[in-house]
Amino acid sequence: MQASLKAQRSESDTSWKVRLQEWWFRNRALIGYAFIFPWFAGFIIFDAAPFVYNLYLSFTDYQIGTVGTPPWIGFENYTEIFTEDKLFGKSMYNTLYYLGFSVPLRLIFAFLIALILNLRVRGMELYRTLFYVPSVVPLVAATVIFAGFLNTRYGFLNQFLVLIGATPVRWLSSPDAIKPSLILLSLWGFGGQMIIFLAGLQSIPEDLYEAAAIDGGTGWHRLIYITVPLMTPTIFFNLLLGLIGGFQVFEQVFILIGTHGGALQAGLVYMLHVYNKAFRDFEFGYAAALSVILFLIIFVLTLMVVYTSNRWVFYGDAQDDEA
Amino acid sequence: MKVSRLIGLAIAVMMLLSLGLAPAIAQDCDGEVIELEFMNWWGAAREALMDTLIGHFQEENPCIRIINQVQPWDNRAELLATAAASSNPPGIIMSTRPETYQFAISGLIIPIDSFVEAHGTDLSVFYDGEIGLQYWNGELYGLPMPTAGGLTSLYIYNKDMLREAGFDPETPPATWQEMEEISAAITVADPMGVDVMGAQVIGGIGDGDASFVSWLYTNNGRYSSDDGRTLLFNSPEGIETLEWMINFTNNINGGVENVTDFFQDTAFAQGDHPWYDDQIAFLRINTSFYGHYNVNDPEGYADSSHWGTMLRPYNADNPDATHAGTTGYNYSGAWAYTIPAVHSPEKQEAAFKFAEFIGVHPLGGCAFLFAQSRPSPVKECNENPAYYEVNPTWSVVLEGLATDTAVSITPVQGQLAEILANAIDEALFGEKSAADALNDAHAEMQELLDEFWAEFDADNM
Repeated sequence: MQASLKAQRSESDTSWKVRLQEWWFRNRALIGYAFIFPWFAGFIIFDAAPFVYNLYLSFTDYQIGTVGTPPWIGFENYTEIFTEDKLFGKSMYNTLYYLGFSVPLRLIFAFLIALILNLRVRGMELYRTLFYVPSVVPLVAATVIFAGFLNTRYGFLNQFLVLIGATPVRWLSSPDAIKPSLILLSLWGFGGQMIIFLAGLQSIPEDLYEAAAIDGGTGWHRLIYITVPLMTPTIFFNLLLGLIGGFQVFEQVFILIGTHGGALQAGLVYMLHVYNKAFRDFEFGYAAALSVILFLIIFVLTLMVVYTSNRWVFYGDAQDDEA
Repeated sequence: MKVSRLIGLAIAVMMLLSLGLAPAIAQDCDGEVIELEFMNWWGAAREALMDTLIGHFQEENPCIRIINQVQPWDNRAELLATAAASSNPPGIIMSTRPETYQFAISGLIIPIDSFVEAHGTDLSVFYDGEIGLQYWNGELYGLPMPTAGGLTSLYIYNKDMLREAGFDPETPPATWQEMEEISAAITVADPMGVDVMGAQVIGGIGDGDASFVSWLYTNNGRYSSDDGRTLLFNSPEGIETLEWMINFTNNINGGVENVTDFFQDTAFAQGDHPWYDDQIAFLRINTSFYGHYNVNDPEGYADSSHWGTMLRPYNADNPDATHAGTTGYNYSGAWAYTIPAVHSPEKQEAAFKFAEFIGVHPLGGCAFLFAQSRPSPVKECNENPAYYEVNPTWSVVLEGLATDTAVSITPVQGQLAEILANAIDEALFGEKSAADALNDAHAEMQELLDEFWAEFDADNM
């Protein structure tokens, strides 16, 4: 009796599972959408909608205290930015300067460290961890530590320079030194890019290096003719992230030199200008227009990099893959 | 009796008690306790003092509950702007004069004249100069506390350092020229910057406008006309003032970078300022410094042979110049307690009661400021003879307040100050002459000011 009941239950369980599988298969598209819905909802609510609203605000004279619909002023904000705003050009120059040095330097630095950490040496896991640790330190904490390093009188860097007989540098108070200081600070968080490079390096087939060695290739040849070409997709990826992030540099500048931008506003980066317009001058519509311009610049630059990537990024031989 | 029964009995008793108490509270408060979020910047060091003030207020007003929301100083402008502009701002906001004006013109806060009239608040208890700063377009927007005065007119000086340099510690410098002489004798610099500083005549990079305007008045110059429509700072007195500041900073302190680096990462309120290590002889202060000094170095503060207070020196070469201070210019001055417009009349009424208590009640701002050895905007409070015991330089403080002149500003003061600060940086770094820097800044600022007034006049026709 009991065996019969058990068999019936087993049959029932099986049919239930089969039905569930069939339902799952029939509705797989719906279920897929359900899985991506949380991200999609987040994207709409926290990214797309604010973006569209920001775009709308950029055509208005939205200021603090504006009640109801802000007055529509068309392209007035944009006209003012390009014809009257002296700090637009200055902040854009400062940002491009920062970008022009920090992005390549950080890429090179992260790549070189990744190369070293890809060697087969005892205790390498420990070294990798040590090099990655700075990246998990919050940016605010890292910046505060750097402010101490860069202190003219008591900072580690100047103490070191004096020790070796060099002239101390006014890292944060000289208009000539502010941007190099910010670039120096940008190298601190190289760990994220380094990890991506390391993953890329470990995916390069070993037999390519063996073949090069058999052909008499030196370490330099292996680096130039195998490693770098095969790493170009990773370099491309890190370059894009670096460019997008570099244009939006803000927190470290804000903490190190304040909203004014330092001596002769040499550190007034673009996002600081946006911030000042929004939260000091309370001209939110104008700040929105500045943000839209930044978006367009990043968008166009990204498209250009993607477009030119066909010429220098090596994804492998597609025909060989198919064969 | 079982435990569960005991618990049940206890709950029943508590319910009965609460039922009995509830009508009593309702009778006192007409059924409602108004909660008032008090957004302020008094800082952790003075939170207990403010809590005491709030305690006294609530004893007299049991139906109003004040929630003391002490805010961090960092990102102050951002916090204040977002709070004031939100649909649910705090019940009462502590704002500076330029902010009060900005919020007033934006309709974010309400004028309080009707409350003053309804409550019979006597505004004559305030110094005219103090209450006068809280009016915009003929309407009163807040009651002041602490003083706007005493923000630029006073210096504290280190008597020991003067003595060691061969100067009479009881006769501090009265003129620019005397301060220059003493500072040159005291200042010690090396390739890393200034080790010991005589005096700073400029706050630092990006902070030049406030310093310049303060010195301008000690050379008989003016920032703006009384109606706030015309900027006057690029006068011959203004140019002479900036040239003097540049020469002092370059010749004695070795440049504005040295001044900035000297004070980098230090704060008087936190006790790590060069003053506490006898590294600066003359320090421009506002009157909050006495309280901080007493907290951070009580022994030093108590020793009147170690330090003194003096008036800001004036230009002896200008026969019309004399000691002077300014009020209402600085972005961090002329504080008042303002009431957001979006709240219900009941909440606004409660906010005014609290603002009035802070402003004029003896247990309000009066006691709060006395505890910090600093003056009050209420005349009678400062007549307390005990001030001479808690602040050994009290007579000079009062003298300093008497030299203060109110500066006319507008809601666009923040933007104007930014332009002037940048111009002064350009002059300090030798990018422009003092005259060119001031004239260029004047042209740009006046244009902005004219735009503001044109719009304002059109709206108020």
